Amino acid sequence: MRLSRLLTVYGIAFFVFVYAPILLVVLFSFNANPVNMMIWDGFTLDWYRLIFGMETEVTKSSTYVDSTPQLYAAVRTSLIVALSTTAISTLFGTALALAVARYRFRLAGLYRALLLVPMIMPDIVLGIALLIFFITIGMNLSVLTIIVGQCTFLISYVFVTVSARLAQLDSSIEEASADLGASPLQTFRKVTLPTIAPGVFGGALLAFIISMDDLVITYFIAGAGRTTLPIHIWGMLRRGIKPEINAIATLMLLFTIAVASIGLYIRSRRK
Amino acid sequence: MKPMRRRTLSLLGLLGLPTAFLLFFFFCPLIIMAVYSFLTPGLYGGVEWTFFDLNYGRILGWADTKYERFDPVYLEIFLRSLRLAALTVLTSLIVSYPTAFWISRMTPARRTFAIFLVTLPFFVSLIVRLFAWVLILRPTGFLNQGLMGIGATSEPIEFLYTDFAVIVGMTYVFIPFMFLPLYASIEKLDVDQLEASSDLGATRFQTFRKVILPATLPGIVGGSVLTFIPALGNFIVPSVLGGAKVVMIGNLIEQQFLSARNWPFGSALAMMVMAAVLLLLLLQLRLVKGRGEAL
Repeated sequence: MRLSRLLTVYGIAFFVFVYAPILLVVLFSFNANPVNMMIWDGFTLDWYRLIFGMETEVTKSSTYVDSTPQLYAAVRTSLIVALSTTAISTLFGTALALAVARYRFRLAGLYRALLLVPMIMPDIVLGIALLIFFITIGMNLSVLTIIVGQCTFLISYVFVTVSARLAQLDSSIEEASADLGASPLQTFRKVTLPTIAPGVFGGALLAFIISMDDLVITYFIAGAGRTTLPIHIWGMLRRGIKPEINAIATLMLLFTIAVASIGLYIRSRRK
Repeated sequence: MKPMRRRTLSLLGLLGLPTAFLLFFFFCPLIIMAVYSFLTPGLYGGVEWTFFDLNYGRILGWADTKYERFDPVYLEIFLRSLRLAALTVLTSLIVSYPTAFWISRMTPARRTFAIFLVTLPFFVSLIVRLFAWVLILRPTGFLNQGLMGIGATSEPIEFLYTDFAVIVGMTYVFIPFMFLPLYASIEKLDVDQLEASSDLGATRFQTFRKVILPATLPGIVGGSVLTFIPALGNFIVPSVLGGAKVVMIGNLIEQQFLSARNWPFGSALAMMVMAAVLLLLLLQLRLVKGRGEAL
């Protein structure tokens, strides 16, 4: 009995360790103290006003440098990249998963093993390998290189998610559909696609979230002057801790939770 | 023969583009990087396409020319990275194992929710999670204020920019990698077996060592590998929480690419990381396979 109580205390401490830091950021995004963020000095929405370009006490100061245009540009780049990579990697990852699961071909096992490699590869190694590659073949670093670079590992995440879904399903329904005279395209549209849709959707969501958050690989292949949101925040951190980072972080948190909740909601409805 | 041909065609249709894409943009870059690690660094950051083994010589000991000299500092940084990654694995294990055990004993509905709660932070931006720890560990941060508040210390302790900060940060960001494989193997534990062990007179510690530990070894090994790999090559955590004081191999590689502009040397360092990862995966295969045959 005593041991199980000890385990409970330990488990609760674990969740405090996991969530306290995040909650702290949210809490202090409302702290009015502009000098020491860690000392509570009343509730304010100034940091949110600041990042939305509204006038606050801080912006009135003569030393204030407005960096909101850069922030918006970074958000825009992140969204463009994430939407493109999600589309491409979902398409490619799903195609690979279907091929490996539904066609018995000789290299299927090899595919399954090799497609894990991009996920295991340390991201700094992939980042510099891509940088060398793009420079060697004469491709200028741009949004395009970020999209291509991120897809190399996002495909694997979609592949794994869709494969997991395919493994749960019975291929006999597809065979039945073919036996009843449906063309392969009809079978795919009417039978295969609806059944794997939750897996595809889950994979796409995962790809989107990972792409939005990718820091290391993007950092190496973004090229000068192009930043995504994580790189922008990292830059802000290196220039010094500013209270508005709390507000940006909180908004990112809300965004992630919203995306994840939509995913979970849709998944639960399918069930 | 027609359906057969159609089958081949649709298979090629599915495989063709993705395969070409990955061959070109994933495997080619890795091969070129490997080639680069054997090329001569040019004077002003470029590269000369002649064979050169001193990139490795500078790290491993045989470089002894005017420009390329062996410096033990690279091996030291490599060893420090291995050490910090190993300590991160150890802390993650200590933090996650009892918790996974606790959650595995909950009712199914609660269990699902608890697992969801463990994985959720993984989707929170890495840089945001690290920023949170900067706030906590700074001299004026939460931890120091707490310690000074209870009178444990009168001067703020420098937590930030230490090995401690880097280990805490890496443990924090990689927890799901350790937790999920661990949980998967702990959940499969046979309760009857545990009861049998205690009925037969084994102490709790004996049960743990002889029954629980061997049964959950695949999870321990899997989680450790999945944590160790990203920890070893990491450079964001050490650069945010370790500053200039805790340099890991990832920081060194980044420097070679973005400030020192010695790409062949940076590639050689990256190849060392790859070699360590590969070795580790082989070790895991042997550990888990050997276990499977014994059972």
